[in-house]
Amino acid sequence: MMTTVRQIGVATSMTLRATFRELGAILGFVVLFPLAFLFFLGAIVQHDLRTQVVVGAIMMEMALLNVNVVGQSIGADKESKLYDLWVSLPASPVVYVTSIALSLLPFSLLSAVLTLTVGAIAFGVSIPLALVPWLLLGFLLVWASTLGIGFAIGVFGRTPRQINQIAQFVGIVMTFFAPVFYPVTILPEPIRIIAYLWPITWGTVLLTGLLAANATTVLEATGVLAGFALGSVVLIGRGIRWRQT
Amino acid sequence: MSGPLAPTPSGPAPVLLARGVGKVYQSRGAAGGPRVANHDLHLRLDAGEVVALLGPNGAGKTTFLRQVAGQLLPTSGSIVVAGVDIVAEPLEAKRFLSVIPQECQPMQELTVEEQIRGFARLKGVPAASLDATVEEILRDVGLVAERGQIVRELSGGFKRRVLIAVAMASATPRLMLLDEPTTGLDPEARRQVWSVIRGLRRRGLGILLTTHYIEEAEILADRVVIISGGRFTVSGTVEEIRNRLPYRGRLIVLRADRLTAAGAEAVRALETRWRVTLREPSTIWFEVPDPFDRDTVGELARLASLGVQASLRPVSLEDAYLTVVGTPEALV
Ligand SMILES: Nc1ncnc2c1ncn2[C@@H]1O[C@H](COP(=O)(O)OP(=O)(O)O)[C@@H](O)[C@H]1O
Ligand SMILES: [Mg+2]
Repeated sequence: MMTTVRQIGVATSMTLRATFRELGAILGFVVLFPLAFLFFLGAIVQHDLRTQVVVGAIMMEMALLNVNVVGQSIGADKESKLYDLWVSLPASPVVYVTSIALSLLPFSLLSAVLTLTVGAIAFGVSIPLALVPWLLLGFLLVWASTLGIGFAIGVFGRTPRQINQIAQFVGIVMTFFAPVFYPVTILPEPIRIIAYLWPITWGTVLLTGLLAANATTVLEATGVLAGFALGSVVLIGRGIRWRQT
Repeated sequence: MSGPLAPTPSGPAPVLLARGVGKVYQSRGAAGGPRVANHDLHLRLDAGEVVALLGPNGAGKTTFLRQVAGQLLPTSGSIVVAGVDIVAEPLEAKRFLSVIPQECQPMQELTVEEQIRGFARLKGVPAASLDATVEEILRDVGLVAERGQIVRELSGGFKRRVLIAVAMASATPRLMLLDEPTTGLDPEARRQVWSVIRGLRRRGLGILLTTHYIEEAEILADRVVIISGGRFTVSGTVEEIRNRLPYRGRLIVLRADRLTAAGAEAVRALETRWRVTLREPSTIWFEVPDPFDRDTVGELARLASLGVQASLRPVSLEDAYLTVVGTPEALV
């Protein structure tokens, strides 16, 4: 356990440096997100949904980075055989995957700050301080859950092209069929069921529960998210497909 | 168990012991159906020994190395690295392993030194001895001047050295697996890699490398294992493998299309005596039982007196290799 934590630290210092040196697309994510959500806010969202949209946008950005960039990093590493090198190290797959995801975290944080700033200045949205610890817990759980999705796409995809396509597809489905930017009641019954399969939907449930001070909803959503996160960690830790069969 | 695989009762444990290893891929390609990539492979490798796995493309070299490296689960058999089963206890066994996968690229955006330091830490080199370890490796692989460069900007030969450096960075190195370590390198870069490999061997590491360069196996390996169609067909020292050919030399006739009548007559006469293994318009190869006996050397002199350009040479590993890959049963 201690070894794994130490290895995560070492590996992350490597991936962080690499990520900072090839910025580009990731900055797009970080800057575009606050702007895109601004459009939602200004144009279509009702006043009482604005807080949800601000926090939801932060969660969504994190989830999309995990699904897209983690999946695609694994795809690229498979292509360059760096993946094989990682598999041959005396380190758990958790070290590899977490180091990729942690290297994205500074960008998610930057995006969150931008989003909150734009939300506060342009629309007067502010987050009650008492909710912050719960929100951080929610972010952490969504983060861990979507990490598992990115890992699964990366290890199950056969080629980088296929991995990209799956990641794109999942990203689109997640963006539109998770009720982050609209109330879940808008969705017709069968699609609503799909929506509840995404961890990010539960992130939103948690958020609305918090804003409405509804303890039952908060506990329920936290429980489901913890389940997703645990499944994700187990999926990665058990090394499903880490060693090829 | 018998033969070369039998464990020596005394003496240290081998760094690699593979028994009955096989792989069946569940291929989903156009050909469909399961595909046997290798079958019933046995190999023992001791500390300080270099074994070259020599075989044509698709022979199953990479499959075997990936099985040993714990990247690919074998369908059958067992693989024990430095006394630890790679399938049952992968994390423990991998502490003794250093691997360079085929066609592997290092992390492109790190500097040479960052890369070596990072992987050294991941492979258990303690922080206290990290500086000394990294310095030593940089010197050994000749990357001192390039230590601060971003890997992406290095040439192919230097990237390969970075990978070797990464492989060397380990707290408990016992077995090194190098899949085609010199493929695609220029002759000079290849020689540099060879000298690094020899240095590793001197330090007592066991090294299993694959190659399809016969010369490389000849120069580096204590033992050569020829793999063909997923099976280890022949194994032994270069000398032993050469000696298993049913002949000891070659007589080579050059410019065979420009012979005088007398010369052509003499060459035709040889064909009744020795088997022809290659016939091109300008070149003919004969198998001779012994390239150094008086009779054979006398034939060479006689050919020369008739204006025939010919030469004699002893059999090489290449002769044995081509024989094995063509028809394995041709060896004695
Ligand atoms: N992932 C895979 N799925 C199916 N067949 C494979 C796979 N990898 C390799 N093979 C097949 O296994 C055989 C051996 O391949 P390989 O071990 O790469 O050979 P070598 O390294 O000697 O060139 C080949 O026929 C190859 O097509
Ligand atoms: Mg190969």
